[in-house]
Order: sequence, then C-alpha cells, then structure tokens
Amino acid sequence: MAVCIAVIAKENYPLYIQSITTENELKFHYTVHTSLDVVDEKISAMGKALVDQRELYLGLLYPTEDYKVYGYVTNSKVKFVMVADSSNTALRDNEIHSMFQKLHNSYIDVMCNPFYNPGDCIHSRAFDNMVTSMMMQVC
Amino acid sequence: MAQCVQSVQEFIQDSFVPLVAALCSEEAERLTRKNNLGFSELVKPFCRLTSEVHMRDPNNQLHVIKNLKIAVNNIITHSPQPGGIRKLLNDVVSVSQPTEGLVTNVITAGDYDLNISDRSVKASVPWYNNWKDTLMELNTSTFYSATTPWFESYRESFLQSMPASDHEFLNHYVACMLVVSSGEPEPVEQFLKLSQEQHRIQHSSEYAYPKWFIPNTLKYYVLLHDVSAGEEQRADSVYEEMKQRYGTQGCYLLKINSRGSNRGADEQIPDPWSQYLQKNSIQTQESYDDGPYTVISNKNADHLISDDLDNDIQDGLSNNFKAHPLQLDHLSDTSSSFDGTDYIKTTSSLHESKKTSSGTPHGACLTLTDHDRIRQFIQEFTFRGLLPHIEKTIRQLNDQLISRKGLSRSLFSATKKWFSGSKVPEKSINELKNTSGLLYPPEAPELQIRKMADLCFLVQHYELAYSCYHTAKKDFLNDQAMLYAAGALEMAAVSAFLQPGAPRPYPAHYMDTAIQTYRDICKNMVLAERCVLLSAEILKSQSKYSDAAALLIRLTSEDSDLRSALLLEQAAHCFINMKSPMVRKFAFHMILAGHRYSKAGQKKHALRCYSQAMQVYKGKGWSLAEDHINFTIGRQSFTLRQLDNAVSAFRHILINDSKQPAAQQGTFLREYLYVYKNVTQLSPDGPLPQLPLPYINNSATRVFFGHDRRPSEGEKQAATHISLDQEYDCESSHQWKELEEQVVAVVNKGIIPSNFQPTQYCLNSYSDNSKFPLAVVEEPVTVEVAFRNPLKVPLLLTDLSLLWKFQPKDFNAKHNGETKELACGNDMIGAEVIAEFLINSEETKMARLKLFPHQTGELHILGVVYNLGTIQGTMMLDGIDPSIGLQAGKFVYNGMSVRGRQELEIQGPRLNNTKEEKTSIKYGPDRRLDPIITEEMPLLEVFFINFPTGLLCGEIRKAYVEFVNVSKCPLTALKVVSKHPEFFTFGGNTAVLTPLSPSASENCSAYKTVVTDSTSVCTALMSSASSVNFGVGTGSQPEVIHVPLPDSVLLPGASVQLPMWLHGPDEEGVHEINFLFYYESIKKHSKMCHRVLRHTAVICTSRSLNVRATVCRSNALEDEGKGDNMLVFVDVENINTSEAGVKEFHIVQVSSNSKHWKLQKAVNLSEDKDCKLASRERGKLCFKAVRCKNSGAKCGVFLQIISSASPCADFFFRSLSSELKRTHTQSNMFHAAAKQPFDEAVRLIQKCSEVDLNIVVLWKAYVVEDNKQLILEGQHHVVLHTVGKEAFSFPQKQESPEMVLLKFFRPENTSVPTRPTSEQLSNLIKTSLHYPESFNHSFHQKSLCLVPVTLLLSNCSEADVDVIIDLRHKTTSPEALEIHGSFTWLGQTQYKRQLKSQEVYSLQLKACFVRTGVYNLGTHRVFAKLADQVTLFETSQQNSMPALIIINNI
Repeated sequence: MAVCIAVIAKENYPLYIQSITTENELKFHYTVHTSLDVVDEKISAMGKALVDQRELYLGLLYPTEDYKVYGYVTNSKVKFVMVADSSNTALRDNEIHSMFQKLHNSYIDVMCNPFYNPGDCIHSRAFDNMVTSMMMQVC
Repeated sequence: MAQCVQSVQEFIQDSFVPLVAALCSEEAERLTRKNNLGFSELVKPFCRLTSEVHMRDPNNQLHVIKNLKIAVNNIITHSPQPGGIRKLLNDVVSVSQPTEGLVTNVITAGDYDLNISDRSVKASVPWYNNWKDTLMELNTSTFYSATTPWFESYRESFLQSMPASDHEFLNHYVACMLVVSSGEPEPVEQFLKLSQEQHRIQHSSEYAYPKWFIPNTLKYYVLLHDVSAGEEQRADSVYEEMKQRYGTQGCYLLKINSRGSNRGADEQIPDPWSQYLQKNSIQTQESYDDGPYTVISNKNADHLISDDLDNDIQDGLSNNFKAHPLQLDHLSDTSSSFDGTDYIKTTSSLHESKKTSSGTPHGACLTLTDHDRIRQFIQEFTFRGLLPHIEKTIRQLNDQLISRKGLSRSLFSATKKWFSGSKVPEKSINELKNTSGLLYPPEAPELQIRKMADLCFLVQHYELAYSCYHTAKKDFLNDQAMLYAAGALEMAAVSAFLQPGAPRPYPAHYMDTAIQTYRDICKNMVLAERCVLLSAEILKSQSKYSDAAALLIRLTSEDSDLRSALLLEQAAHCFINMKSPMVRKFAFHMILAGHRYSKAGQKKHALRCYSQAMQVYKGKGWSLAEDHINFTIGRQSFTLRQLDNAVSAFRHILINDSKQPAAQQGTFLREYLYVYKNVTQLSPDGPLPQLPLPYINNSATRVFFGHDRRPSEGEKQAATHISLDQEYDCESSHQWKELEEQVVAVVNKGIIPSNFQPTQYCLNSYSDNSKFPLAVVEEPVTVEVAFRNPLKVPLLLTDLSLLWKFQPKDFNAKHNGETKELACGNDMIGAEVIAEFLINSEETKMARLKLFPHQTGELHILGVVYNLGTIQGTMMLDGIDPSIGLQAGKFVYNGMSVRGRQELEIQGPRLNNTKEEKTSIKYGPDRRLDPIITEEMPLLEVFFINFPTGLLCGEIRKAYVEFVNVSKCPLTALKVVSKHPEFFTFGGNTAVLTPLSPSASENCSAYKTVVTDSTSVCTALMSSASSVNFGVGTGSQPEVIHVPLPDSVLLPGASVQLPMWLHGPDEEGVHEINFLFYYESIKKHSKMCHRVLRHTAVICTSRSLNVRATVCRSNALEDEGKGDNMLVFVDVENINTSEAGVKEFHIVQVSSNSKHWKLQKAVNLSEDKDCKLASRERGKLCFKAVRCKNSGAKCGVFLQIISSASPCADFFFRSLSSELKRTHTQSNMFHAAAKQPFDEAVRLIQKCSEVDLNIVVLWKAYVVEDNKQLILEGQHHVVLHTVGKEAFSFPQKQESPEMVLLKFFRPENTSVPTRPTSEQLSNLIKTSLHYPESFNHSFHQKSLCLVPVTLLLSNCSEADVDVIIDLRHKTTSPEALEIHGSFTWLGQTQYKRQLKSQEVYSLQLKACFVRTGVYNLGTHRVFAKLADQVTLFETSQQNSMPALIIINNI
C-alpha cells in the first residue's frame, strides 16, 4: 500500500524512514525531505489560533509522476509522511487517514517506552512490524 | 529565482529589437579592423538610443519610443545549425561562472541560512552611457539576492540565436546598411555593387536565409571615412554625390579613426566594446582573426566555403562547429565565448603574428569624438532612415489590411459559418499535425497582420501590437494553423504584459496554450523554451513564483540537459523566493539541476548546485541523501581537479557511519582511493596523507615490551608470563603488583623505595600510563593497534608498520646533554612490517606491530603507516578470478591502494584531583607510546618440567624448573614470590639428595625414606629440625622464597634445572597460583633495577583425606614425675570419590611437631601395620603425647620417612607459617582489645588450655590409571591449639546462613575484662583420684569400710596457684544428697595448698562407706586461683569424671 513511511522530528531530521525497496531508497529520502516544505507551508497557512484545533491529517501533500505523498503532523510537530504508489487508485483518503492514526498510535507506544530517548532514531521492533504491515497491506 | 540586472520590461524589449543587416566593402572592413573590430562590432555599443523618438502610428497619433535598441548584424547566408547553437549555448554557460572570493549572499529561508555565492559581474550591461553606473549600482547594492548570470547569458544568447522562422517576423531584417570606405577608388560603384548583392541575397532563391521583413528593404548607404589616412575633401565630395543619389535621409558619412594607430596609446579612452566582446583575450583575438573571412564571404559565397574548409583543416575542429556563422558574426551575441582550452589549438600558425596583438584594446584608433560620431550615426540612421521606414511600412500594412478587411472578413466568416459545424469536430489528431505544418504563402493576408503586429511590437507600440496579435491569433486558430497561432498567442501575451498602464491582466493562459502547442503539437522545443523563458520572467515579476517554478519544471525534458539544468536551477531559485521559502524543494531541484548540469558537461555548475543543495541537507540526519550529495561533490570536484575538496567530500562519506549498502560503500571507497591516489601523485614528496580508514580505537592501543612467549614444548612448559593475548584483569594485576612490592620490600630490607614503580610489561587503558615506560634495548616493543572497519566491504592494509621518532641517549653518560633527533635509520630501530592485513566488513581487528630498538634513547611511537586498499576493487579492476588470488594467499592489489598514515594519539585519564581539575575538563598525559629504551638487562625464561595439572589435596609431587638466561647479561638475586608459599618448595638448606635431573626421578618417591625393620612399629623417633633450616625465618616474609641458584648467578645463555616439590592445596577445586620471579642484573642501572617474570599455574585438586584431630588431657598420671600427658586422636577419613581411580589410602606416618610435646606411641594401633582406608572409610588413630623438654622437636610414628627432611618439612613449615599468619591477625585483634593488667592472668589461665601441637599425617595413595598402578604420596597438617577442640587439616567451610535479617547494631566495646571461661579455668588444675577399682570389705566384721584414696593435683599453668580442696558434699539438691549421702570423706574436709608451676601434689584422703555398692568418688570440689591475684577467678574445678568404686561385701 504505502511504499515509504517516514517519521520526521520537529526539527526536520528523520526519526524513522522505511521504504519498501532498497534500490529506490535515496529517491524516497529526497521525496520525503522535499515534502517537508509542503508540510511547513500547510502548517503555516493556518493561523496561530487554529493550530490547536486543526486536523492532524494534512491530506495529499503533492503528487509526483509515480507517487502520491501524504502528510500528517502531530501536535508536537512530529511529521508522518507516507508515499503511496499513484497507480493504486483503490486507496481512499479515509484509509490513508486511518493508517496515519495507526502509525500515530504506534509512535505513541514508542514514546512511552521509558528507555526511548526522545529525539533518537526509532529502533523498535513493534514499530517496525507496524510499518511493515502497513506497507504490505492490500498490496 | 535569480535576480536579473534588467527589469522584465527591459529584458523583453531587448529580446526583440529591429534587426539591421550590414554589408561592408572589403576596404571598409579594413578600416574598422584597425580598431580590432568589425563594422557591426564597432557600432554595437552605440546601438541603443539615448533620446526618445517620436513616431506616428497609422491613426496618426504620436507614439513615443523610449530606449530603443537596434541590432546591426553582418549578413550571414546560412541558417544556424542546431548543433552549433547547442555548442554555443554550452560555452556561454560554462564561461559564466560565479566569481570566487566575493562576499557571499546569505539568504535566510526558514531556519536555514543559505550561502549562495554565485554573484558575478554581469557582462552585458544595457548601453554604454549607463554601463558604469549600472556596475556601480551592482556592486554597492546590498539587497539584491542571488544572481545567476550564466542563466542570463544563456537566455540572451538563446534568444539571439533563435533561427528566423516563417511564422513570425520579429527577427527578420528590417533594413540593410551598405558600408563603403571613402578610400576606395570608386565608392559609388562599390555602393551599387553592394546594393545588387543585397538584392541578390534577398530575392534570389539561392538564399533561404537570412529572412527579410518586407520585399523592399530599406537600404542605407554609409560612407566610412578614415580621418587619419583618407582625404577629407574626397570623402566630402563622394558624400555629396551620394546625397544627390540617395537623398540625405538615405546616406551618411561616418568619420572614424581620428587617431593614428601608432600613437596616442597612452591616452586613456573608455573601451565600451570590452563589455560586449569577450573579456577573454583569446576570444577577442578569435573574433578578430576570423573577421576577414566573413567579410569576404559576403562577396562570394563559394569563397567563404572554401575558406571555411581551409580553416577547418587548419584548426582540426569539427565542421559543424566551425561552419556555424553564429560563432563569429552574431553581433548581439555578447557573451559568445569558447572554451579556452579548445581554442589554444585554433590559433594556428597563420595567425601567429596577430596572436601577439591579442592584448590590444578595441577602438585604438578611435577618439571620444569618434565615439560620439558613431553614436550620432546610429541615431541619425534610426531617426531618419529606420523609423520612417517602419512607420511607412506599418501604414502600408494597415492600409492593406483595412482595404482587405471587408472582403476577407466576410469571406472568412462566411466560410466559417459554412463549415464550422461539420469541420471542427471532424478534425483528428492527424489532421491537427498536418495543419501545424501549414504554411501560408509569404503574401498571405493573415501574415500581413502578423507582420504589422511584429513591427508595432518592435517599435514598442504594444497596444496596437496586441490588437493585431489578437486578430491574427483568431485567424490562425480558425485555420487550425497551430504554429502560427501559438506564435500569435505568445506575442499577444507579451504585448499585453508590456502595455503601459496595464489595461488588462497578463493572460497567462495564452502563454500556457502557446507553450503546449509549441511543445506537443509543433514539437518545437526551441520556441517552447523561448515562451517559457518569457513567461517565467513575467510571472516572477508578478511574484507568482510557484507558477513560474511549475512552468520551468514542466519544460525540463530529456532532449536537452543544459536547458533542463538551467530551468531546474531557476525553479529552485523560485522556491526560495516564495513568501514562505521552500528550502527543501530548492535543495531538491538544485540536485536535479546539478545532475543535469553534470550530464551536460557543465561540471563547475554541477558542483556548485550540489554544494548549494548540501547546505540544506548537511547535518540534518538525512544521511542517505547527504552521502549521495557528498559522493557527487567528490566526483565533480575530482573531475575539476579540486582534489582537496574531492578528498574531503569522500572522506565525509566514509567517516560517518553510513547506512549505505555494501556495494555502494565499495564504490565510495574505490573512488576515494582513486582520488587519493591522484592527490598523492600530484605531490609525491609531500607528507603522507592522513587516511580516514580504518578507524583506530586509540584508547584500546596496547603496548607490550619483551619477546613473545615461547610456546610450551612437550613436557617443558614455559612460564605464562604476560602476553597480549591475556585480557586485562584488574584483580590479578593488583595481585601481581602486591607480589612485586613484597619482593622489592624484602630486597630492600623491608622498605619499598620511594621511586618504586611496578614493572609493567603490557600497557593498556587500565594501566598507569602517567610515567614513561621502560623498554630494554634489543628487546622488541609490540604495539597492538585496534582497527575497526566501519564499512560493509573488507579493507586491505598492506605494508603496515609503525611510525616513530627516536632520540638516542646514553643514560649512563650524564654529561652528554645534547640529543640528536633522528626520525629514521634502521640501525637504531628496526620496524616490523606486516605485509598484508585484512579487515573484514564491520570487523574490529588487532594488528600487532613490532619495533626493535637497537640503541638506548627515547622512542616515540607516532602512528601507523600503511597502504589502504580494497580487495573487491582490485578484483573488479583486474578481472582476475578472485579465487586465484586467494589461493595464492596473496591479495592482488595494484592501483587501488594509497599510502597514508594515521596518528596514534591517546588521551590520558581525566584528572579529578584538585578543585581546578574537577571544575574543568583536563586530561592527564598518556605515555604508553613513549617508552624509554634502557641498556641491557638480563632476561629470564622459566620452564616447568613435569608440572602436574591435577593433584590430590595434600599430594606431594615433584617437578623441575628450568631457569634460562636468554640475555647477554648475567642474572642474579633470583627470587620467587607467591601468595601460596605452601604450594611449592625448592627444598631447604639441608642437603639435596634427590636426583637433579627429572628423568632419573620418575619412579622415585618424593620423600626421603629410611629402611626400618618392621618390628620397630611402635618406636617413636625423635629428630629435631628447626624451621629456620627451611627458609621460613620468623621475621621475613614467608612468601618470598630465594631460589637456590648455584653460585647464585645465572650467566648469559646458561640454564639451570632445579627440583621443585608441589603440595596440593588442601581445598579441592581449581587453584590459580601466581608465581612472580624476581631477578636483577649484576650491574646496577639507574633506570631499571630489577625485572620480573610472571607465571600462573593452574592446579586442579581433588579430595583425598580429611584429617581431624583432637587432643585431650589424659586423666591418668602415669609417670608421676613428669606430670603432663595428653591423648591425641586423629580421625582420618577418605573422602575421595574415587573418580581419579584412587583405590585406597595408606596412612604411612604420623609425625608431630611441637616445642613442648611429642607423640609417644600409638594407643590403639590396629593389627594392620598400615592403616588402610578405602573409599569413604574412616580410621581413627590415637596417640599419646607427652611433654618434652627440648623445643622444636619433631617426632614420628611409623617411622619410614624422614619427616624432618626436605619436602615434607618444607611444606609443613610453609603451611605452618601461613597458618600462623592467619591466626596472627585474629589474635592481634584479640590482644589489642585486652590490654588491662589483669589480662596477664587471663593469659596465663588461657595458656593452660593451649597446646601447640602440630600433626603431620603422611600418606600414600594407590591409584590406578591407564591400567598402571601409581603410588601417590602426600601429607596433611593439623594444627592443634586448644585442648578438647577439634582441629581440621583444612579449614572447614562455614555454612553461611542462607538468609539473615540484616541487623544494625553498634558493636559493644569489648574492652571489658574478658573473664576466662570456666572451661579454660578448669584446665588450670588437673586432678585425678587414685583408688582401687573394687574394694572388698566384710561389713559383717566391721560396719565401716575405710578406703584410702589419693588425690593428685597437678598445676598445669606456668604460675603458682592456690588450691582449695573442699570435700564437703554440696547439699544443693536433695537428689544429689541421695546419691552422695552414702559415703563420707573422713578427716580434714578442706585443704588449702599452693601449687607451684607444674607441681604435682598428692593428697591422701580416706573415704568411708557403710554398705556395699558402686560409688562415685568424684564429689570433691577444687577451687583454684592464681596465687598473686586476689580473689579473682576463683572457680571450682569441674566435677571430674565419675570416679566409680565398687565396694564388695565379703
């Protein structure tokens, strides 16, 4: 379903990035990194007051030739970026939304680990499995 | 987006200017050549009008034209080749590079600060008058953002190199200048000739190119007059003639060259041409060189071709490139430039003479007046010739259109009405394609509108132009002439934008449609590109950056890398200029641009793009991307010969823990090595480069002094000593240190010298490295370096060796203060080289490197030097089957290895002693790698022969030790120290009777035996042996044992074998026993006093016998005179679990050692002579001990073994001393507690119950091993201290309670006088009753029976004792009364006596019985107290054992 899932820290460095194939990894990194601009733009487009009540799901950030990039920002400005194959037309927006929510929950679990140092790269098997399952799903 | 120097309006105006052709006579061209300029070049700087011009439009309205610029070009009869244009544009871009060293622009975008240092001085500045101001403004303005001059140059060149096409007229020639020199013989004839030439070019079908605007082109006749050479009058007269012929409006006399070419060079005249022609002198020369050919070509096309061919042959350049006329003559191509390197070749011998003048400035013959004249000329031409001509043409076209309008319009609309319904939907794509190629005949009315629109556009009448374009657009669309329509749309949009006051918004959709049409339908990328360039610029000016970016990105395609690169870069700039800058998009597009640049061969630009993108990615954790960029930067830098940058970029990839796959890392590494190799080849004499790989864990570096351990050979087992293979163990190293301190203390009479420094053979991060370590000359220094390969590809290090510095110094000659510093020379230090060292992927591997110092001095180990290479790389390079290389055991490496070094710098421990050190972070020195090489020292090697690995507890085994001095120095004072001195012995001072060689002793018992006849079983033999004989002095440390070397010196090369007895430790299990051999040199050195050798023996012991002994006083006082005797019970239990095949144990002998006691005889000796104990059997031996006078006696029972001889006694005394030590510490504590005066008494009392009897049990064990019966011998020691207390041969394990509640209490002060226990007191006096066991008495005869009883009192203590004997029955309990009431003592019932020390006193008593029975006589009570004490400790003696008497009645 998703071909690349990334968790980006507030300071815009990657906490976690996983893609389905290794050969295109670099490309996905670039794609995800570039998408942060759009995320920034979308966040800053909202007023200060609205930020608190805003919808975490940002929707489609931008489409590229082969992929669609979706974004999600937590209240602590941690960004989730998901790259999906644009040929997969069956994927609907609310499905993406629920995937992001699952990802968010899993991320919260990681954060709850007392041995996890906030700001470190995520090395969690549970999170890995979660992400892998999301990439495998319905493929 | 990059900022342009020009405004958008200026840019667009300058992009579309009226074109004027110039046709020069040969002579005229020669005149201008004097200034290094062609005619068109000459006028170029003056082509912009500085004053406003007025013109009337078709409606007779006045129209003002500002800043009009015209372009004067030589006529070229070839249409430009696409390849040539591409080459030209490429060159334009590559020449325009950001200037280095300028202040960088910092663009703050979000949280990023971007340094964009591509500021460069724009070459093409609009016009001469303003160029200086513009430049000034450019340099001083602070707020302009990044510029991309290469893009502007590109754009300018691109627009000017657009080939003229049929669907638009903007770059068709409007007019033609005919230039003739006044110096020609027939100027007027020449004019005619040129005019005909022009006519021929325009109208004959020979030439499809250039294109002309209208059939009757304006001809303007220019007479060029050389003021310095020609006759003024002649010129004037010719001009007059011209005026008459062509009218004043159609001709002009231009006077130039007022200054002779040879003089006045000192006068400074501004050189406006330099801005337009190339800054590059080669360029200038080139255009100069090639000028004549083009001029000639105007006259004769054939000539041109042949000449070009000549050129081609001479220059060896591609035909395509050379034949392209743009290269030379496209005047407006200001930035046209060529790569310098290519052109070095082209300056062939033909032009050599001119080559020297390459530096000559332009316009050398022109004065300022001449400049003004030229400007005047252009102005005149424009005002009088060009504009009226254009005005007239517009009017004509307008009239034509109006006249035709009625007809055509109605016709068009009619046809449209007729056909539109059916025609339009039917159009298929194929038809569309066809119609896109639709060509109107040149005189078609649709084209006339377009022509008029273009003319209006050129003269800045945008309103009219727009309406015309709009009309034309409709017509073209109706005809489905897509190319024409797109052109009209494009220009309509531009003119709409340029309209003053902007009456209508910029129709961006026009542009979009135009671009789409150009690109998709017409497949004309050049036109599409022009359209995009214009539109993007307009959009940017309106701050529609994202639209502009989208537009720019959309045009990137596969067909042109250069264009794609430039457009992507511009798009990237658009992203950071947005209101909320999109830095990451900028970076990403910069990378894409960089990629395209590199594909287009623009390496510098590619590098710049990547570097700029790097700023965004750097250090943000996007390692994959970062690596990629670094890699590309490295590559590009390398190809640009910026080797340092390349190296650092590659280094960056390798140093950081990269997450790249192995193949990628392999590539990185290979590239890095390749680059590095190039760097080193450039400067072969330079210092070796620092290599980043593999990592060195500096603190894990270990240094070892001395030779490698010699392997054990056969039975010879070398001392373990210390080696790099051993792990550091804090506890053991502390033990070794302690041992060394002990031995040093012994050597130095009990004091450890203040400068004592424990010998450290192996330095690591745990050892104390604050002092310079000592190494001995001629002994190797081994450095173990911990390499780690962070990559997933193996690394191969070859020729790995240490890097060092050495200062020779003679430590004995102190006057020699100066030291020479020598870095090399194998005569001083020999270095071992490891030929190949392979580190597998992600492996940590130690390399051991050796140095052999041959002189004394100070050595500093600086680092390692090696060739870094890969295996994979070589395989790929060579194409050799990898298995071959591996089989040969030699990894083939050729080009892919680089010699380099790495420093070893070890940081010392952090200091934390003073306050200052605590508050700051300071590190102490670490001198691990700076050993001092001292002079020769002896070197001892120790081998153990027949050294057992397993022993029974208490077993005695004989082994041999071989001491070898392998140095060139005699060795002395050999000592050995161990924590377990009871474990081994070299024999005492008594004569050594054992055979000295191990081979002879194989079947020999360890003990010395005497042959005794079996009858003397019970005889006790006494021999005296003092502990002093066995080296166990009272004062000295028992742990330090002197090794009895013959002559106490071991000469160089000599070896000595000494017997050594081992005694299995009493506890079962595995024992590690540390030996430290200490030795000295005969000569005393200042630096090193002694050396040590370590050995750790591992012995596994298994259980054998458990010996328990108790001693008690015998009640019998047999030998009345002697007084004291005791019974010793020895329980021997075989606790061996017979795993070792032990069949049985025989107790061979029991010996005793005491100062006061001796074993006399066995009491309960069984019939069997030997006491045999099979598995799990227990035997009890009982001995009688008597007090003896001579101290230090040693007695044996079952005497077969001289127990006072060497091994037995040795071990006994050793174990005794260690036992003593143990108890010493305990008693010390006790004594410290009780120091009161009366403690003396306590001690006395205690002493009574003390015995110091030591029992030695010697045994033999019969062991079956491999069907061979072996006899093992051994001994156990029991130390008896207290009467009645059980003593064991080995300390009993105390069963620690499993879990106890932790109690916290304050220890009570135990200084309260410790009262001796009653038990101790009871030992003060020994009593015994002597009486007949049964007494017959006839009660019938006499009713009272009197029995005499002797009470013997013996004082056991050393002091006088007052004794009170109370015979009265104690009537404490009725029960007792009942028992005792049956007999009475007669006579005195209480006695008081004083007993002297050891005195035996007998008291005659009488007991009276009245009836028969069994009576207990022990009813007396004895009170004893020390005589000199007052009433203390008066206590009753025990009611001694029941003394039963039987009274019989007869």
